[in-house]
Amino acid sequence: MALFWLWGLFWLLMITTAVQDALRNPAISWWEPVLWEGTSALAASCWLLLAMRARERYAQYLERPLIWFGHHLRWLPLIVPTFIVAVYAVRHGVYGLAGRPYPHPPWLWVFIYETLKLVLFASLWLGILFGFDSYAQWQSQRRRLLEVQKALSEAQLARLQGQLRPHFFFNALNTISALMHVDVARADRLVAGLGDLLHISLRSGEQEMTPLREELRSLELYAQIMQERFRDRVTLNWYADPAILDTPVPALLLQPLLENAFRHGVERSTVAVHIDVTARAEGHSLSVVVSNTGSSLAADYREGVGLRNCRERLSIIYGAGAALRVQDEGGAVAARVLIPLAGGKR
Amino acid sequence: MIRVLIADDEAPARGKLERWVAEQPDMQVAGYAEDGLAAAQGIEQLHPDVALLDIQMPGLSGLEVAAQLEESSAPLIVFVTAFDEHAVKAFELNAVDYLLKPYDKDRLLRALQRVRERLGGGEGRSAAVAMARAQTASSERLLVPDGERLQLIDTTSIEWLEADDNYVHVHTAARRYLLRRTLQDLLLQLGGERFVRIHKSAAVNLSAIAALTPLFKGDYEIELRNGRGLRLSRRYRDVLFARMGR
Repeated sequence: MALFWLWGLFWLLMITTAVQDALRNPAISWWEPVLWEGTSALAASCWLLLAMRARERYAQYLERPLIWFGHHLRWLPLIVPTFIVAVYAVRHGVYGLAGRPYPHPPWLWVFIYETLKLVLFASLWLGILFGFDSYAQWQSQRRRLLEVQKALSEAQLARLQGQLRPHFFFNALNTISALMHVDVARADRLVAGLGDLLHISLRSGEQEMTPLREELRSLELYAQIMQERFRDRVTLNWYADPAILDTPVPALLLQPLLENAFRHGVERSTVAVHIDVTARAEGHSLSVVVSNTGSSLAADYREGVGLRNCRERLSIIYGAGAALRVQDEGGAVAARVLIPLAGGKR
Repeated sequence: MIRVLIADDEAPARGKLERWVAEQPDMQVAGYAEDGLAAAQGIEQLHPDVALLDIQMPGLSGLEVAAQLEESSAPLIVFVTAFDEHAVKAFELNAVDYLLKPYDKDRLLRALQRVRERLGGGEGRSAAVAMARAQTASSERLLVPDGERLQLIDTTSIEWLEADDNYVHVHTAARRYLLRRTLQDLLLQLGGERFVRIHKSAAVNLSAIAALTPLFKGDYEIELRNGRGLRLSRRYRDVLFARMGR
């Protein structure tokens, strides 16, 4: 829009100066400069409209200005002769109607002179068009970048929140505040464990993969706090094949599995619950199973946010190479993760 | 003495509440509960003046326990919870007492002081019960005594309710339960969707009705699907007809 105003203003200025020139020259009548500049304006406007139509198509070259200008300017060999022929034809016609000859230099001279003028003129206006377009593009890119950044940080936040629920922290703090009055050393250990867990949780934002050894350690920290809360209501059994402890796994990937075992097993059950965590190699995969007694999958069972996040992360990192299954297994609910031992596809 | 029941499924959390409640010269811990059913049972048997109810408990949540109490005879309830934005909003809205974990001694003492101030009036208890009913599906499940224990039954299995002084007989196809509640309070909990009063001391499950036969003076005879006959008083006739779409 701004471009059209600029264009109109430019030609108004051209016509006005030409008319003012003519007024001081008795040999020329007022309508002659209007005709000259007017025909030029009309023909040039046609060109501008064509250039505007092409701008969408050439927008992809905005980052490489030479190619962008090249794409616009390569039409000049066609546009220049068309322009000259059209403009001079109209001028000759109007002069003819007025019963006067249209005086101009010899044709060869006209051709060279007009070509030069047109190339300069087109370059100038393409420069302006380029300025407008690249500014608009820069703005929309900046907007998109901001949107992407926002979405990314939100996703990261959601992931963090999904890993350790606020519920867990508040309950853990309450347990510690109760233990402080009974057993200071144990309360102290719990605070340290909670701190470690918080460190791991905060670090997982930047460091995506961690050795299985570390991942199991964070599960133990979590279990230690939960065991303090539910003392005689839960027993845990850990087994990990020493040969695979260095396998890299996504950090805090297994957290939701253990969390579910506590949430749906221990916290909903009045009898003692047993939780088994097992990590071993199965063919070319690392298999981690977290199973708990005390609950079974409901008939209308639907996966919660924790498992969905877990599944999503697996598919982003490993594609179809990894799997997550949750099923009833001999009186317990078992969540099983399979990760390729050779590492991710990246 | 103000008698306090403590219900939390976590031993350390129970210990923490006990430590400070027992310190109060005018208070005494009447009992503990480690899950929701035990809490309901404790309230039923021990009649505490105050119940400190953790929300997250196995079996029945603290809110579900409160929803099953009679409004007028319920103890004063203080809900205890770690993180439950939804419930906390409801507590605030209905001026129901609650304690957020983790809390310190000061905060617990303030809550206990509020309890002392409220013990005289009745609105505190009914607000907590009414709010808990609104927050849970208390019209779907009813807590009934089964011998020494309490159990939950599906309210769709109830055919009709029969008042007997301050008790209500709950009739299901299989058997009969005796509840120490007023019929009016029970109907408040079960809501008007499923149950409608048919005379001063009875209400019926709409879906248990098989047929209606007019009697004298505008009364009707209701025949239930199991063949049993009940009298519909003309005072309650229009409400029942409207509910049945006649």
